[in-house]
Amino acid sequence: MDLDDDTAVLTTLKSFNSFISQSEPARASILTAGPPTLQGQYKRSLELLEAAEKFESKTRFLQLDQEKKQMELSHKKARVELEKVASDSTRELEHELDRSQELHWRIKRFEESEAEARRNLKEQQDHQRSLKKTLDNLNKRLEEREGRISTANQTISCLQDEIRELKLKLQGMDSTISSQGLEKEELQDKLLLQQRKYQELAQLCQSLQAAQSTCSEHVFKIKELERRLVLQEQDMSIVKTVKSEAAKVPELEKELKRLREENAFLRESRENCSLLKEEAQGLRRKLERADKTKEELLTLELDKEKLVAKLKAWENLGQSTGLSIKSPEDLFREVIQIQQREITLKEQNYALNSRLRGMERSQAELQSEACKQRACTVEEQRRREAQDSLLRRLQRRLLLLTKERDGMRGILESYDSELGATEYTPQLSRRVKEAEDLLQKTQSHNAEMEAQLTKAQEESGTFRLQLHTVEQELEELKRKQATATESRSTVSNEEVSILRQKIEDLEVERQRLEQRNSELEMQLEKGTLQGDFDQAKTKLLHFKMNPTAVAKQERQQEVDSLREEVTRLRELLRSMQESGAPDEGSVLGLSLSLPPSKEVLELRKQMESSELKNQRLKEVFQKKIQEFRTVCYVLTGYQIDITTANQYRLTSVYAEHMEDSLLFKKGSNGSMQLMETEFSKTLGEMVSLHLHHQKSIPAFLSAVTLDLFSKQTMV
Amino acid sequence: MTSTLKGITLKGSAEMVAEFFSFGINSILYQRGIYPPESFSRVTHYDMSLQLTTDSKLKNYLSDVVSQLKEWLFECTVQRLVLVITCLETNEVLERWQFDIECDKSAKESSVPREKSLKTIQDEIRSVIRQVTATVTFLPLLETPCAFDLLVYTDKDLVVPEKWEESGPQIISQSEEVPLRSFTTSIHKVSSMVAYKRADSV
Repeated sequence: MDLDDDTAVLTTLKSFNSFISQSEPARASILTAGPPTLQGQYKRSLELLEAAEKFESKTRFLQLDQEKKQMELSHKKARVELEKVASDSTRELEHELDRSQELHWRIKRFEESEAEARRNLKEQQDHQRSLKKTLDNLNKRLEEREGRISTANQTISCLQDEIRELKLKLQGMDSTISSQGLEKEELQDKLLLQQRKYQELAQLCQSLQAAQSTCSEHVFKIKELERRLVLQEQDMSIVKTVKSEAAKVPELEKELKRLREENAFLRESRENCSLLKEEAQGLRRKLERADKTKEELLTLELDKEKLVAKLKAWENLGQSTGLSIKSPEDLFREVIQIQQREITLKEQNYALNSRLRGMERSQAELQSEACKQRACTVEEQRRREAQDSLLRRLQRRLLLLTKERDGMRGILESYDSELGATEYTPQLSRRVKEAEDLLQKTQSHNAEMEAQLTKAQEESGTFRLQLHTVEQELEELKRKQATATESRSTVSNEEVSILRQKIEDLEVERQRLEQRNSELEMQLEKGTLQGDFDQAKTKLLHFKMNPTAVAKQERQQEVDSLREEVTRLRELLRSMQESGAPDEGSVLGLSLSLPPSKEVLELRKQMESSELKNQRLKEVFQKKIQEFRTVCYVLTGYQIDITTANQYRLTSVYAEHMEDSLLFKKGSNGSMQLMETEFSKTLGEMVSLHLHHQKSIPAFLSAVTLDLFSKQTMV
Repeated sequence: MTSTLKGITLKGSAEMVAEFFSFGINSILYQRGIYPPESFSRVTHYDMSLQLTTDSKLKNYLSDVVSQLKEWLFECTVQRLVLVITCLETNEVLERWQFDIECDKSAKESSVPREKSLKTIQDEIRSVIRQVTATVTFLPLLETPCAFDLLVYTDKDLVVPEKWEESGPQIISQSEEVPLRSFTTSIHKVSSMVAYKRADSV
């Protein structure tokens, strides 16, 4: 392609060069043609240029055609190649598709195989699990079997141990049976002994009781005898005293006489005594009276001296006072005179006081009038001043007005002078009006200012008046105070004293109240210490079931129970007393009827428990005995009964008759001997054989049983 | 023991005071022989050995009263606790142990704990209990069987709980009063006093 292009380019170049060479000669020809004008040259050049341009365009066109063709060729080639490539690619695609399909098939086959393999795996796993399970089961069974075997072994061992133990127990039981048999025999012996002892004791008790009764009778007799003895002794003593007294009788008679004589003498002396006593009393009374009169005398003398002294003083009075007093009448007269003088002076005093007060009142009134007058004068002054000020204002106004008038006149004249060409009368009048308005305004303003001024001046005047009045009042008060202080000294001394007394009384009361207050506070404190409390603010609580209440309840219950017991005992006593004379039998009965004490209760309990034990032992013994006897009967074939002491009767199992029995006796040396019975007579041979020759009772007995057994079976 | 936090709160103070009352009442009962000495067991508290009763009824009674007291101390409504010993035969009051309680009510509004060391409070309580033990020397002997009761002086407007009832002040006639020491937790102040019947008037 490039080569084609190059060839195209070369061809065009060649053609161009050929053209140029053609043109050059043309040009040269053109040149030689002669010197055309510029325009013709210009046109020629233009034509040449156009031709060049055309040639160029043609060449370009050719080039482009060539290029186009080349391009088309290349396009075709490319297309062909592309088609090849496409076909190749399609082939490849088909190949690939085939491959892919093959691969897909393979994949599918592989997947199928995989699935199959998985299934196989699962089956294998299941199989394995099942095998494991079977293994486990087998293991478990094995273990179970082993366990069973071990347990069986253990049980075997246990059973063997048990067997041993049972054997041992059996042996023990046998031994215990034998020992218990022996014990039973011992106990039976003891029982017999106890019974004998009990009987002996009962007999002893009875004898004791009889002895006690005889003793008590003897004791009673002894007491009676003792009482008689005592009485006799008392009688003896009485007799002795009587004898001694009888010996004293004659002496007593002598004394009697003497005493009678003395009695008479004393009576006489008693009468004398009474007389003397009366005299003595009378004398004593006289003495007392005399003493009293003496004392009165003494007091009277003292009084007399006092009175004498007073008299002298009274008599001297006249000398001391300087008056002509010689008797109390003169004194009386003088006193009356003095009193009258006093009365007159007091009247004068009161009159003076009343005049003083009247004067003071008039003074006060005058002062008030003076104040008022002053106030009036002040007011007058103020008015004058106001009027003066008014005057001044009016004068000022006058001046102002005159000035205004002059001014207005001047203006008017000026306006008149100015009046020329034009008539400014309306304007003038307007101006005049304006001027008048202004004037009026100013005048009104003036008037207001003056009014304010007057108000201010009036206010100031009133203030001055007030000041004056206040000052006057102050002066009056000062004067009054001065007068009051002077008058107080005379009039209010009494008030002062009264007030002072009141103050003292109040102080005394205050102190008393303070003391009472302190005492009450002390009492309150003491009360709070002791436990009192303010009922308005506090209250007192305690637990309902407190220990004191509980203790009181218990105590009350105890007391009640004790009282009940006491009443019961008293009733018992009363019943006992009513029933008869007290003797020991009733005392015993009392003791029985009393409530049982603790010891008695305990003893009773012990007794009951011991009785229970005895009963149980008896039951057990009976059971065991019964068992033993049955076992013996079964095993040996003989029923052994004890008929009397040391005599034993054996009855065989296989005995033909009920009465067939063998009697054995236990001798003193401990050996058993067979006694004659009807049955034993029939067994003479065996007796001789076994007992006399072989000297074996068991052999004899076994021979007898065998014989009887054989008889029984044969029959 | 009470908490080891610094400062005393109202709750802690109420607990401490209630604990003191429990031990104090026990020691008074032991010292005066109201209950047999073998019914008491020794315990250690406040760094000293004290006696506590083992009788179950008494223990229950004391725990009821002390727990109610704790509530009232917390509400600051209790003014006084009195232990009264009465003779069972004559129903006379022989001794009165009085504990006045002053509560600082401002502690109810503010919950700021007060600064007072536990050790000083314990020392004060210990000295009070020791003094109680010492007073036994001059108190007259209680020869008759006696029982005791606990009275509580509270504010008038308090709601009376179920198991409690109002009672009289149970004052001793012709008594001698002996003031004892006091202790304070900076919120509650407890001052003690014992009053006994004069021996010559019995």
